[in-house]
Amino acid sequence: MTGLDSSNVSSTTAGGQPPAATPVSKIAPPVTPKLSIWEWVKENLFSSPFNCGLTVVTTVILLAIFRGLLAFIFNPVRQWNGVATNLRLMMTRAYPEEQYVRIWVCVAVILILTSLSMAIWHAGSALSVSEVGRKLLTTGTILVLFALLAPFSTAATMLWLLVALVVLGFAEFLRRSSRGLEGQTISTLTLLVLTLSGLVASLWVIPYGHHSYIPKRDPRVLAEPGTVALSTKLPWTLMLVIAVVAYFTGRALRDRLPANATRITLIVLWLLAPPALLYLVLRDPAFDMNHVATTDLPIFAAYAIGGTALLSWLTRPSTGELGRIVSAIILLAGFCSFLTPMRMIVRIDMLALAIFALAAPTFSGGPRAQKRYVASWIGLLGVMSWLITAINTPSTVSVPGGFFIGGMSITLMVAVFTLVISFPLGIALALARTSSMPIFRLLATWFIEFVRGIPLITILIFFSIMVPLFLPRGMHLGEVAAVIIGYVLFSSAYLAENVRGGLQSITRGQQEAADAVGMTSAQKTLFIVLPQALRVSIPPLVGHCIGVFKETSLLAIIGVFDILYIGRIVIPGQTEFMGSTKENVLFVSLIYWIFAYQMSKASQRLEQRTGLGER
Amino acid sequence: MTDPTTAETPTETIRDLSKARDVIVCENVSKWYGDFQALDRVSATIKEQEVVVVLGPSGSGKSTWIRCINRLEQHQEGRIVVDDVELTNDLRNIEKVRSEVGMVFQQFNLFPHLTILDNVTLAPIWVRKKPRPEAESQAMALLERVGIPEQAQKYPGQLSGGQQQRVAIARALAMEPRIMLFDEPTSALDPEMIKEVLDVMKTLAESGMTMMVVTHEMGFAKEVADRLIFMEGGQIVEQNSTEEFFSNPTEERTKLFLSQIL
Ligand SMILES: Nc1ncnc2c1ncn2[C@@H]1O[C@H](COP(=O)(O)OP(=O)(O)O)[C@@H](O)[C@H]1O
Ligand SMILES: [Mg+2]
Repeated sequence: MTGLDSSNVSSTTAGGQPPAATPVSKIAPPVTPKLSIWEWVKENLFSSPFNCGLTVVTTVILLAIFRGLLAFIFNPVRQWNGVATNLRLMMTRAYPEEQYVRIWVCVAVILILTSLSMAIWHAGSALSVSEVGRKLLTTGTILVLFALLAPFSTAATMLWLLVALVVLGFAEFLRRSSRGLEGQTISTLTLLVLTLSGLVASLWVIPYGHHSYIPKRDPRVLAEPGTVALSTKLPWTLMLVIAVVAYFTGRALRDRLPANATRITLIVLWLLAPPALLYLVLRDPAFDMNHVATTDLPIFAAYAIGGTALLSWLTRPSTGELGRIVSAIILLAGFCSFLTPMRMIVRIDMLALAIFALAAPTFSGGPRAQKRYVASWIGLLGVMSWLITAINTPSTVSVPGGFFIGGMSITLMVAVFTLVISFPLGIALALARTSSMPIFRLLATWFIEFVRGIPLITILIFFSIMVPLFLPRGMHLGEVAAVIIGYVLFSSAYLAENVRGGLQSITRGQQEAADAVGMTSAQKTLFIVLPQALRVSIPPLVGHCIGVFKETSLLAIIGVFDILYIGRIVIPGQTEFMGSTKENVLFVSLIYWIFAYQMSKASQRLEQRTGLGER
Repeated sequence: MTDPTTAETPTETIRDLSKARDVIVCENVSKWYGDFQALDRVSATIKEQEVVVVLGPSGSGKSTWIRCINRLEQHQEGRIVVDDVELTNDLRNIEKVRSEVGMVFQQFNLFPHLTILDNVTLAPIWVRKKPRPEAESQAMALLERVGIPEQAQKYPGQLSGGQQQRVAIARALAMEPRIMLFDEPTSALDPEMIKEVLDVMKTLAESGMTMMVVTHEMGFAKEVADRLIFMEGGQIVEQNSTEEFFSNPTEERTKLFLSQIL
């Protein structure tokens, strides 16, 4: 492109540049004087008589609560053995011990993905040494309080005070030594790895004891002194090593691979991981090769070949109205296929193909774009066929009673599946509710208002009991799957409302700008409206995620053995640990809190990061 | 890459446009918002490479008219033909016209979640179906031309108003339009930034782009416009060549408006 007079351009560059862009301000900003701790306390806590009173009263109340909690935890009557002995039960329920390597594979895969993502997305930030000192100072203070308030023996109190003093001394040393070197920082990731290494190392050194519950005909409790079992400390050590290695691999790859492609691959892997781990690794299906060769592969091949031909035609920019008509017919055929008996996979593939066909014009383009689109269709089809086959294949893992995993695993599984499925559904509902088509608007509004008017527990009970009765003959749906479907519907209605709030924040100017450059409404929604709407909705969406995670505990009511149910009913049911409910529930709450708090932190970081593009 | 702006290099400020093609034809265009008539039988023709400035008091229907030309608003009566395509409810015609007509808004309307480079390349990649590398090098050339190549990786929120408006111009140009519409492009800018935007528009006009500009910048109108159109109450009151318009306006209302604004 030529055409504009170049001399004019240079004059524009020289004259029109606002001073803000040129580096004029070399002067450092004025330093806000740092208050010492005493000054800060004086200014914020004891500035007026009323404030003094408030501070004293609050401190007394907090100390009393803290003391009460410690007195509860360290009361000799407490049966913490129940938790210690049943840790495996709480995590995975009755998953067979000899198959436990499968669990560790899942943990490893998730850790590898986490580490890779942290590397690729530049997770972590630099913390100045004095900041670390300040944090340690807080930790030390809490330790002192802990040592003084807990009902320990004198010897134990002394030991804890000693630990606290060491921490405080180290903190003060850091604060002092960092005076001169303001620029010295340490990565939060280094701190994280140091902390985790400390924890893992403590498994090898500190005699936590070796506890286990052996569920034989007459159950036996194993409680030996010493460090934890090798089958616990060795895998965790390995996991830490794997995570660190994966992180550095990610760092090394980061600069060599194209950024966008790597990120998209990782996101796809994250989406594939939960079903693949659950159905292929944990469940270990016994594939019937004969059935695979005669039924599953031919169906896959038919859809792959037919889909390739269809989509190559549809993604050609010259294909016009006829393409849309064909896509609509396929969609209709997909829905009609539910009226006649046929394999579920044929119907699902048909619907998926219809969606790909409808979206094709948006992604049409040159041969490269076409190839990419067809490849993503074959990829999705392959994964879908593989998973559906795996789901329909009986498992080789034999677990007595109910679903094959339980405890924390099922809590996480239900939460992850519900969220992953209800996100696209909720977004679609929100778009439908704000669309200009009255029929979509009406349906979406009715659905949302209907679901929001029913308690979650009702939906879960309905889906666990009633849905299997309504299913067409020949179709089976496990109770857990049925419940997840109900939960997905519930969650998507709430998600839709959160996303709708974000959609309303998009100004008309944004839509018009997209219209003016000729975007179709699908492109406008995908590239302009949704990214901005979702960004605005991050806080309520994360709140929703935390809610979904916590409310999985309602599954207990329909007989799923989640972690809360195990803590509340199963462990107290063991003769050795009768009456340990309080301890178990406290422990379970701690676990819930750790997860929920991490999600909340992640949301704050996400907000800060995406805030970069804010006006 | 066919570039409409290379069509002809203008030699003089006074151009002979009598033989040029009509690219925008409006015939008796009327539009109502409810009961309120915003456009009243607006008729005008704009020729290829012509620069037309639309003047008028606030609320006179300038924005409404210019937005009808790329169908951001629908007219209810009359005909609008852009580059031989008549604007009707037919989606394909609307798509065709929108890809021929670039628009620059008063409020910039950059996409705040995308970098400057992505703002400029988004439409060429997804609407024009250009390969990304080609779109990016074209975008960099355009950013160079509007004078801010070094901001390519920043986000709109990190730029000054004048820089944002120049990005908006680059974004519109990236679609290689034959016509550019400007709706008060400098009204939301601080005075010291107006010039940098007007300079870009000036060079664009000199390169032979067909332009329709709603503005209150009389200096720009006098210097760049081939023709002025004065609107009031949804009607075109007077249209004339720049020189005639300023030196001897025929209508009373034009005289009054000019006396207030000059
Ligand atoms: N969306 C709308 N709904 C109702 N009235 C409108 C709308 N947009 C503009 N108008 C009215 O139409 C008239 C012309 O508006 P506009 O074209 O924006 O004027 P100008 O750009 O010349 O200031 C104004 O009186 C305005 O109030
Ligand atoms: Mg206006």
